[in-house]
Amino acid sequence: MQLNINGEVRDIADQPDEKLLWVLRDELNMTGTKFGCGAGICGACTVQVDGVATRSCLLPVAAVVGKAVRTIEGLATRHADGTHTLHAVQQAFIDEQVPQCGWCMSGQIMTATAFLANNPTPSAEQIDSALGNNYCRCGCYVRIRRAVAAAARQMSIHENGQEAHV
Amino acid sequence: MTTPTPHSASPTPHSRWRVSRRGFLIGAGVAGVGLALGVPLSLPYARLKIAEMLTSGDGRPGSFTTDPFAWFEITPDNRVRLFLTKVEMGQGVHTALAQIAAEDLGIAFGDLEVVQASTSQGPADGNGTTGSTSVATVYQPLREAAAMLQLMLRTEAGRVLEQPANNLKIENRAFVAGDQRVTFGQLVTNRQQWQIPKQRPTLKPISDFTVIGQPVKRVDIPPKVNGAAVYGYDVKLPGMLYGAVARPPTIAAQMIAAYPGTAPTMPGVKQVVLDKNFAGVVATSRAAAHAAVAALEMLWADGKPWQQAELEEIVTVGDFTTEEGGGITIQREGDAPSHLDKQPAVTAEYRSPFAVQASLEPQAALADVQADRVRVWVSTQLQGYVRSLVAETLGVAAELVEIIPTYVGGGFGRKSGFEVAVEAARLSQAAGVPVHVGWTRTEEMRYGYFRPPTHHQLAATLDQQGRIVALEHRQASGDVAFGFLPGFLSAIMGADFGAYRGGTIHYAGIPNRHTIVWRRELPVRTGWWRGLGLLANTFALESFMDELAHTAGADPLQFRLDHLSDDAAGQRMRAVLEAAAAKAGWSTPAPAGHARGIACCTDGGTVVAQVAEISLDKASNRIRVHQVTAAMDCGLTVNPNGAAAQIEGNIMWGVGSTLIEEMRIKDGQVDITNFDSYPLLTLRDAPHVETILLTSGADKPLGVGEPPIGPVAAAIGNAFFALTGKRVRQLPMTPDRVSAALA
Repeated sequence: MQLNINGEVRDIADQPDEKLLWVLRDELNMTGTKFGCGAGICGACTVQVDGVATRSCLLPVAAVVGKAVRTIEGLATRHADGTHTLHAVQQAFIDEQVPQCGWCMSGQIMTATAFLANNPTPSAEQIDSALGNNYCRCGCYVRIRRAVAAAARQMSIHENGQEAHV
Repeated sequence: MTTPTPHSASPTPHSRWRVSRRGFLIGAGVAGVGLALGVPLSLPYARLKIAEMLTSGDGRPGSFTTDPFAWFEITPDNRVRLFLTKVEMGQGVHTALAQIAAEDLGIAFGDLEVVQASTSQGPADGNGTTGSTSVATVYQPLREAAAMLQLMLRTEAGRVLEQPANNLKIENRAFVAGDQRVTFGQLVTNRQQWQIPKQRPTLKPISDFTVIGQPVKRVDIPPKVNGAAVYGYDVKLPGMLYGAVARPPTIAAQMIAAYPGTAPTMPGVKQVVLDKNFAGVVATSRAAAHAAVAALEMLWADGKPWQQAELEEIVTVGDFTTEEGGGITIQREGDAPSHLDKQPAVTAEYRSPFAVQASLEPQAALADVQADRVRVWVSTQLQGYVRSLVAETLGVAAELVEIIPTYVGGGFGRKSGFEVAVEAARLSQAAGVPVHVGWTRTEEMRYGYFRPPTHHQLAATLDQQGRIVALEHRQASGDVAFGFLPGFLSAIMGADFGAYRGGTIHYAGIPNRHTIVWRRELPVRTGWWRGLGLLANTFALESFMDELAHTAGADPLQFRLDHLSDDAAGQRMRAVLEAAAAKAGWSTPAPAGHARGIACCTDGGTVVAQVAEISLDKASNRIRVHQVTAAMDCGLTVNPNGAAAQIEGNIMWGVGSTLIEEMRIKDGQVDITNFDSYPLLTLRDAPHVETILLTSGADKPLGVGEPPIGPVAAAIGNAFFALTGKRVRQLPMTPDRVSAALA
């Protein structure tokens, strides 16, 4: 089987029922995507499939054949000279000093980036709702709110020259 | 942080630490070159009482050694590396300790590399990373080590440059005088033998601090936003396989026999391991390992089918007037019982339930057991304890076992890591290859240890002016620390310091104070949980203070202030209460439909006050917490941004415990399996948080990671009373309990 992950074609073993999470983590050694509950509740395993935030712990790998999978490892923009630029959400999570233990953060960031791509000028309530199904046990919620709003502003300035109303 | 990984060169253990005068340890660098200077923790610790030692430890006082808990290495290529035994689980300890080290070494914060030490590079840290004690205990010795290292390097630089040592400036890890320059790396390359000077190094005065007290960015955050950080669940070795272990069907079950069944012939299965009280499988994938474990033929004696109500009956305070009652008095100021006998008392009872730590990273370890060497990568707060257990289980000398702590995906007292490390080691030993064991969520929910339930009876008498004359707190709890201690220590100590943490009455203005605790042994394993007994005890005491304020007809803030003493402790508590109240607008009315409650606590010297603002959704009877305003005095604050993060996180824990979290036992088994049966607080229900950090001119840091959890439940409950005139005296305050209270 072949998957398209972060813009690269990857060969994987022929196990169509295996969940995408474990193919990423245990077969491809891409451990940035985390296991939290295996039941689609906590959101730690969130990746993007064709741009849609998706729980990889419940998703048979066969379901993403022919689709574009993006993980936390592929979120930054890589340049020809080997350097990279973090996504505005990643940078905002650093600027606002969001993560504590960090285990949920890939899922938070992949959820937030998919959300902001479709909702570039979100309200505070929309942020709470969009990130409202991703657990953070350390309780970084105050800063997640702040960082997603800051990233929206930053992306809006970058793309439109205007500030979002957050 | 740099975690030693399977991809890096194998570390060479330090074997040549020698103790120098003044208690420093000096040795060669990890790679055998350069200079290493370490400092032991044993002396500061020796001054602490035994209970405090054990709060911060793994219950093994004998493991306190003169090995360094932290050390510097200067390498010939001019790197300055700070090796730490304390593990990073999001509390920011690596950053805070690096700030302390950089300050007295005299280098820029960014010039220091932080390295997580394995147990073979340095000592197995017997103290662990627990009890909010890391910064407080490490602060002074680490400063002294950094200052000593600077003095040694400076003296040598002065000799090399032929300049007065005191005139040299430090820039980019080099000593500079005019256009003359010698780097730290050159100094350690040119001189092989170093002596600890007789001269005592001068520590920087606090007024000159440029790194301590600054909100520097955490060193562990960049790898946590790009997927690069390696946790116990993430470690890989070539040729590794995956393990899973059979779990008992009930809390009281005993394994009678295990047979392989169809497991050995199932796809991907490499090894079935059946031993006394152990049955596990090694396979090519996690799914295959779990499927094969399910196919084992297991015989269990299920034991008694315990029910929740029976356990709650066990956890009930007894009669302290008789010997058989068994209560242990842990606080007696004045004579509360005689006052309470003489006149009618105000009384109330409170309860808190079992709760789970529920770290988002379940227990995980990778073990590589070879004939002459055992390595285990594991998410753990207690690598020293893990090493001794792995060595004991495998029957090898502890020196052969290297525990490599990884980043920890949430600790909260549960990342002891010892069960999973032993499981991985047993399976690796049997299979002859590296084996990773990562628990499922259901394993994490059911097979650890829980915050124990508690029961509290409170009684007080007031005088004519509405001042408290006598206050008594009777508390019963399942074990917290005692479950981990040898029986003889429990017997000596009598009362479980973990269970009564936060349980004594701090209001020194109350002349008669009495606290009695009962140890209640349960058939369920209970133990460490963030703050230990602090949340439950503060819930009971500070809710009851509110009841007494109401009885006295007093404002809850003023009532608390009126019962503080004028000594330093009382003044610090007064300051945080007044600061939180002022910021929360205590003296102004809450918005329509909202109400505020206040509560405070003291823990390890840190004082915290919080004001919660809540409303009630009338249709669902759900309490909504809109805002928590917290003021904390944790002494000298090393990183104010990190301290604020700890307050915020503790408040979210507190709100979750107050409104949602409850584990119950049903038919002899833990009645939760995943987050559908044990939901956590989400962003939707997360309050806004305002933090205020006060410092009473302190020159020492105190704990930050747990104290702010104390007041949350009481502040919310007191706000609920302000809103409705009713009280919910049992956690969590679910819609059912709210309905019952309002009925």
